[in-house]
Parts: sequence; C-alpha cells; structure tokens
Amino acid sequence: MNPNPFWQNIFRNQADQQTLAYFLNQIPIFSKLSRRELKFLEKIVHIRNFSADEMVFSAGDIGSGMYIIRSGQIQILSVDNNGKELEQAILEPGDFFGEVALTGTRPRTAGARATKASSLVGLFRSDILEATIRHPAPTAKILFGLNRVLADRLHQCSQQLELLQSTLTAPQEPNNE
Amino acid sequence: MSDSSGFRRAQVAVMYLVLTTAIASGIAIYSSATTFTTLLRTATSGLFLPILLAMIVAFMLEPLVNLIENRGVHRTLAIFIIYLFFTAAVILLLLIIGPPNWRGMIQALKADVPRYISFAIVYLTGLLELAQQHFPFIAHYNLGDHLRNFSQALIGAILVQTPRSAMRIGSLLILVPLFSFFFLRDSRRIMRGLISLTPNRYFEMVLDIYAHVSWQLSHFIRGRIIEAIIVGLVVWAGLSLTDIRYAPILALVAGITNLVPYVGPIFGMLPGITIALVDLGVGPQFWWILCVYILIAQVIVDNMILIPILISKVSNLHPLWVIMAIIMGGKLYGILGMIIAVPIASIINIIILEIRQYRRTFNPYNRYFSSRGKML
Repeated sequence: MNPNPFWQNIFRNQADQQTLAYFLNQIPIFSKLSRRELKFLEKIVHIRNFSADEMVFSAGDIGSGMYIIRSGQIQILSVDNNGKELEQAILEPGDFFGEVALTGTRPRTAGARATKASSLVGLFRSDILEATIRHPAPTAKILFGLNRVLADRLHQCSQQLELLQSTLTAPQEPNNE
Repeated sequence: MSDSSGFRRAQVAVMYLVLTTAIASGIAIYSSATTFTTLLRTATSGLFLPILLAMIVAFMLEPLVNLIENRGVHRTLAIFIIYLFFTAAVILLLLIIGPPNWRGMIQALKADVPRYISFAIVYLTGLLELAQQHFPFIAHYNLGDHLRNFSQALIGAILVQTPRSAMRIGSLLILVPLFSFFFLRDSRRIMRGLISLTPNRYFEMVLDIYAHVSWQLSHFIRGRIIEAIIVGLVVWAGLSLTDIRYAPILALVAGITNLVPYVGPIFGMLPGITIALVDLGVGPQFWWILCVYILIAQVIVDNMILIPILISKVSNLHPLWVIMAIIMGGKLYGILGMIIAVPIASIINIIILEIRQYRRTFNPYNRYFSSRGKML
C-alpha cells in the first residue's frame, strides 16, 4: 500500500477545513488565536442547528450570548410599533450577531430568524464566565479579540456619525445666511 | 334492515376486538413497566450510596482541581495530582499516628452498647414512673418495653451487618474514587451533552439557569460538608479533653447528623450524653460535655461562625419542610435517607428559587409593571 501523496494531501486539507477550529479561525474575532486556544474555544462553544424559518431569538428575549453563522443564512429583523417586521440585515456564513448580549443581561433589541436550514456556533456568557475562572489566559485572549472587533465597529460608527453630522450641518449654513 | 344489523354486528365485533386489545396491551405495558422498574431498582440499589459519596467528593475536590488546572496543567493530570496528594497524606497520617484500632473499638462498642441502652431504659423507666405519679392516665404506656425491643433489634442488626458493611466499605473504597474521578473529569461534558438536548427556543434560558443553579449548589454542598467536618472536629477536640470513650465515633456521629438542620444536632448529641451519663456520671465532666455539644459546637461555632460564612440565606428551608423531608427520606431510604433528605430538599428549593428569580428578573413584561402589579 503506497497511497498517492497528492490525494492524501487533498483529503487532509479537506478534513482540516471541516473542523470547527479551522472555521473559528476564519472569523475575525478569533483570527489571532493559537492552535491550542482554538481547541479550547471549541470546547466552550455550542453548535445549534436551526431549521428554515425557525426563530433564533425574538426581540425582547433575554439574551445571553452571541451566535456565529457556520452555514445557512440569518435574517435580522426588528418590529415596529404596529407589530410589522422590518428586515435589518441578511447575514451569511462567517458573520456573527447578538454579541451585545454577551457582556450583560439585557433584552434582545432585534430578532433573528433562519431563512435556510442553518448551523450556528453559540458562545454564551455563562460559559465565558466559567472559563475565566478555569482558563484565564486563553479566555482573556478570546475576549480581547471580541473587544477589538467591537472597538473597530464603534470606530466606524463614530466616523459615520461625524460624516452624517457634517452633511447635516453643511446645508444649514446657507439657510442661516 | 338485516344489512344494517349485520353492519352493526361487525361494528360490535370490531369494538370488542379493539377494546380487548387495548385492555390487554394496557395490562401488558403496565406489568412490564412494573417489572422493568423493579429490575431497574434492584440494579441501581447498590449504586446509590457510592454515586452520592462520589458526587460529594467531586464537589469538595473541584476547587482544588481548578486551582491546579489554572497553572496550565491538564485536568486529568491535575486530578491525579490531587489523588496522589490525598493518598500520601492519609499514609503519612497512618505512619505518624498509627492505624486506629477499629476492631478493638467495635468489639468494645458491641459489649458496651447493651450496657448503655439498659442504663437508658432504667433511666427512662424512672422518668416514666415519675411522670405516672403526676399524670396517672399514661400508666398503660410502657416505654421501657418499646425501647428494649428497639435496642435488641438494633444490636442484632449491628451484629449481622458488621461483616457485610465491612465488605460494602471495601467496595466503596474502590468505587467512590473511581466515580469521583470521572465526575471531576467529565461532569462538564456530561452536563453540556444534556443541556444541548434542549430545544433551540429554551436553550439560552436553560444554559443561564443551569449556570446559576450549579454555582449555588456547589457552594451549598461545599458549605454543608465543611460545616459538618468542622463541627465534628470541634466535638472531637472538646470530648478528647474528658475521659469519655469513643470520642472519634461520637464526633463522627455529631458531624454526620449535623447535615440535618434543627433535628440532627439533637440526635447527634444523644449517644454522647448517654455514654457520659453512664461512664462518668453527673459531674463537672458531664456538664463540660453538654457544654461542648450545645454551647460550643452548636451555638458558637455553628450558628455564630460557620452558618453566616458558609451557607447563604437562599437555601434556608422552612422547619416544616425539613421535618416533612426527613419523614419522606426515612420512608424511602431509611436512616441514610433521613440524613440526605434535607440537603436534597434544599437542592430542589435552590433550583425552584433560581428559576423563579430568573423569570422575575428577565420577564419581558417587567418593564410595564411595577412590583405590585400596577401599570406604570
């Protein structure tokens, strides 16, 4: 038996790419984790499968963690005062949502629904709290990665706000004159 | 006409068949279920005590294992280190103090128990006679006989059970470390597996409630066990100052019965006080022993120091529930059931309280209502 190294290589790569650790490494939050830390992360996340049209959570639910989309498609929606659903965004594999609930218990501000059969990776507060006690170093790195991405978003947000403010104030000037 | 009646007859036949089948299958399911449950009960009867003890051991060792694991040691290795450490400590203790003379102690106890009980009977009959002088209507109640029968049964049970319990202790010595090893190593994985079975809709809630409950539970169980150990040690130290015999066994009894609130300590001090009365008589040593049991162990150490520190107010049970739990536990599992009934009732209480707390805090309609239920 002398297996062809070419095929072996291909199979190994495929197997490698199918692991949860490989997938998590592709997410910007966890991109800077080492192999060992990814293994640890694998142990504290939960894989949840949703069928098409199933709600992941509704607005007003008690959130306790974030979800990362491994496969499928998630629709983020809010409900207006008349009870009508408004689509906010469509998320694809690799995106994550619900991260605000990870740090503090608060009701979800928007709902999430699987539009196709989806597999989500859930990271929840209670697991992170337990992990901080048992494995402080890798947990700190995971939280740091999350913090970095959130800070990036905040930065983008404030930039957009500045842009909006400047566009708001710009047409007002001729009116004053 | 005849057609319709034939149809009716067919209907009746079908009805008859269906009903008979239903009843027969119902009986079959019922009987097989009862045999199944009896089989299950017989199969698991020997597992109850080792699993319970292993869980307690696992709860006690968990913080130590976490401490070592924090330094980057693999969990399995950490558990082995803890086991090695404890084995070494026990061996060292045996080498320094020498093995305790259990056999001699049990032989002496076998000889002494009837003596103590007969003394107690005489004392109680004296009391009864005194009572009968004042309240003649209880004359027909013969307490002494009851107690004599009970004591004979007890001694017989002890004589029969000793070799059997020695074997049980041997099997416990193997099973408990084994079970607790796996509980320590895999409890998280087992619980994660169980929680992952919950439907998506309730998953986050169940996970959150489980985290709260397990935190409360580990604190409660750890607190109770540490409390019992310290009370036992205090009683041992206090009794060792006097000439009383069987101080270690009495301390063990006091510690174990201390797990049952309100009622336990009273029963825990009865054997000690009886032995003190018989061997030492009413004198300064007897009063000291009484003082150790009630004032030092219960009032000062337990109620003033340990309970405020170790046990949270959350897990307090109403005395009525305590007594009901003890009676039910006694019916189910005898003396062992009486001891563990109250902790188990407290555990159920903690779970219910946590779920209620969760629902109250995180009720989405909470925003619209004040605490009195009025619209804001």
